[in-house]
Amino acid sequence: MRTRQLPLVASAVLLLPSMIWAQTGVKSVAGQSLSVAASSASADNLLNGGPSAWNQIALKHVALNRTPPLYDTDEPAALEISIVDVRLARVSKNLLVQLSWRDPTHDAITLAEVPNTPPETRFRKVQTEADDRFFDAAAIMFPAKSGSGAIAPSLQMGDAEHPVEIYYWNATRGAMVMQAQGRGTTWRTGQNFPVNSTYQNGQWNVIFELPDLPAGTTVAFAVWNGSQKDRDGRKYFSVWQVLE
Amino acid sequence: MSKHHYAMVMDLNKCLGCQTCTIACKKLWTDRDGTGYMYWNNVETRPGLGYPRQWDRVGGGWKDGALQPSPLPTMDDYGHAWEYNYEQRLYEGKKQPVMPSPEPKSGCNWDEDVGGMNADENYFFYLPRICNHCTYPACLEACPRKALYKRDEDGIVVIDQDRCQGYRYCIKACPYKKIYFNEVTGKSEKCIFCYPRLEKGEVNACAAQCPGRLRFVGLLDDPESPVHKLVLVHKIALPLFPEKGTQPNVFYVPPFNPPKRENYGKSIQEDPRVPIDYLIYLFGPEVKAVITRLEAELNKTQAGGRSEALQLLIGRDAETRYRIPPQLVQIQL
Repeated sequence: MRTRQLPLVASAVLLLPSMIWAQTGVKSVAGQSLSVAASSASADNLLNGGPSAWNQIALKHVALNRTPPLYDTDEPAALEISIVDVRLARVSKNLLVQLSWRDPTHDAITLAEVPNTPPETRFRKVQTEADDRFFDAAAIMFPAKSGSGAIAPSLQMGDAEHPVEIYYWNATRGAMVMQAQGRGTTWRTGQNFPVNSTYQNGQWNVIFELPDLPAGTTVAFAVWNGSQKDRDGRKYFSVWQVLE
Repeated sequence: MSKHHYAMVMDLNKCLGCQTCTIACKKLWTDRDGTGYMYWNNVETRPGLGYPRQWDRVGGGWKDGALQPSPLPTMDDYGHAWEYNYEQRLYEGKKQPVMPSPEPKSGCNWDEDVGGMNADENYFFYLPRICNHCTYPACLEACPRKALYKRDEDGIVVIDQDRCQGYRYCIKACPYKKIYFNEVTGKSEKCIFCYPRLEKGEVNACAAQCPGRLRFVGLLDDPESPVHKLVLVHKIALPLFPEKGTQPNVFYVPPFNPPKRENYGKSIQEDPRVPIDYLIYLFGPEVKAVITRLEAELNKTQAGGRSEALQLLIGRDAETRYRIPPQLVQIQL
């Protein structure tokens, strides 16, 4: 009987922090602040009003990092998306966040609608058209516990003591709220949130409607590029930013 | 390590290539949205391309304790699910014949009966395939979500659909390419060894429906089970591609019969119908010893003796072919 080596996932977990620990560990957060506009526009206008609704709001370029290959079997991937532009506006009881980034490949489809009738009662079923495509996506992560002060959870989905909330949008599958307590623990809460996405001239523009987050809250951003087979931890990520 | 382990033995000398197992599985488990192209059980012609095409050559599995890379098979490799235009032909009065759409270009036994050449003679045989429910599943190791797990009570490998996020690392890792992605649900699926049937004391659907009676099911560690006897006592069944390192729990009695015509006086290995090298490719070098054992059993019966191994392989009734231990039956019908 063969002795198994250290599981790859575990070795990747050991490897990763040493590479990006300085940016991701549980630590006090200073700098990297994000200004939040107090907007008089309505949440609906900011969400659905198009680019002009956001023109007055200051934009911040947030640097994106690329995770190293997580598993030995992963193909390496180039840094194709190095910046995400972020605008934030506090409106009533919501925080609206606009993420914009350049991505020359539009990886999104419209999935066929699945009828409400049970499949066994139908002659025709909805079919899988492709099994090897991945879709563009983005997410905003912040600590699930409010008032956690200057302690930022691990960028790798927090930990048991510092759970995180993740507002995830996928260009094909839509918006979903997730929670996590460390790598590999992400689960879908079953809730979604209002989101508006457009893709034009090689650029994604995605507006997230989050619950209001108090000043001092840490937030981090992630972008997935479908054509680079991004999913899971294979993605672009920012370090923690602090809301002003 | 699981407390017990279900295993299946398939006698390739008896497979008709009729796909009854495939249809039994399909009607029971993959007649849903997104599953049209999936055949958790398929029967393919060997030598041949296989399903998905070239699955045996693309990678996956273990080497020196490390997972091996592999591309994801494409839908062209599996074959797109096709439908027939019955409505137009039968109800709308259209003149064109009933045709499949999209045009079929691959499938779960696309190169049926093509086979290969052994000197100047054509040969082929059928290889029914399900998930191997490996002892060291590469799929399980590859999943960052820990969505795959081996059932402690019987070793069956399943995917927790609540945990699966459709990342497809498992598909890449499986050297047998027996996990499938459902684009409608956004999750991956696989053979579940019919555990809901086993828990009711019913054998797997593919085995129950097989007209060739070539499948044997039981616990590998149960001395009374036919799979224990075939694999561990008589030692006449082998796993597929043992060098992939996953230790499959589906075993095959290699095809050695019928003999070639006009090979009087020669042993099977001297003048095999299926080239021994090809069997070594599929089942490893141990296959030569297995064929030697099988031929010895054959010779024994032809000399008027009795072979327990061959009597078992005949598998006259369900009690001989299957043994589901009562302690693993959870639902009494």
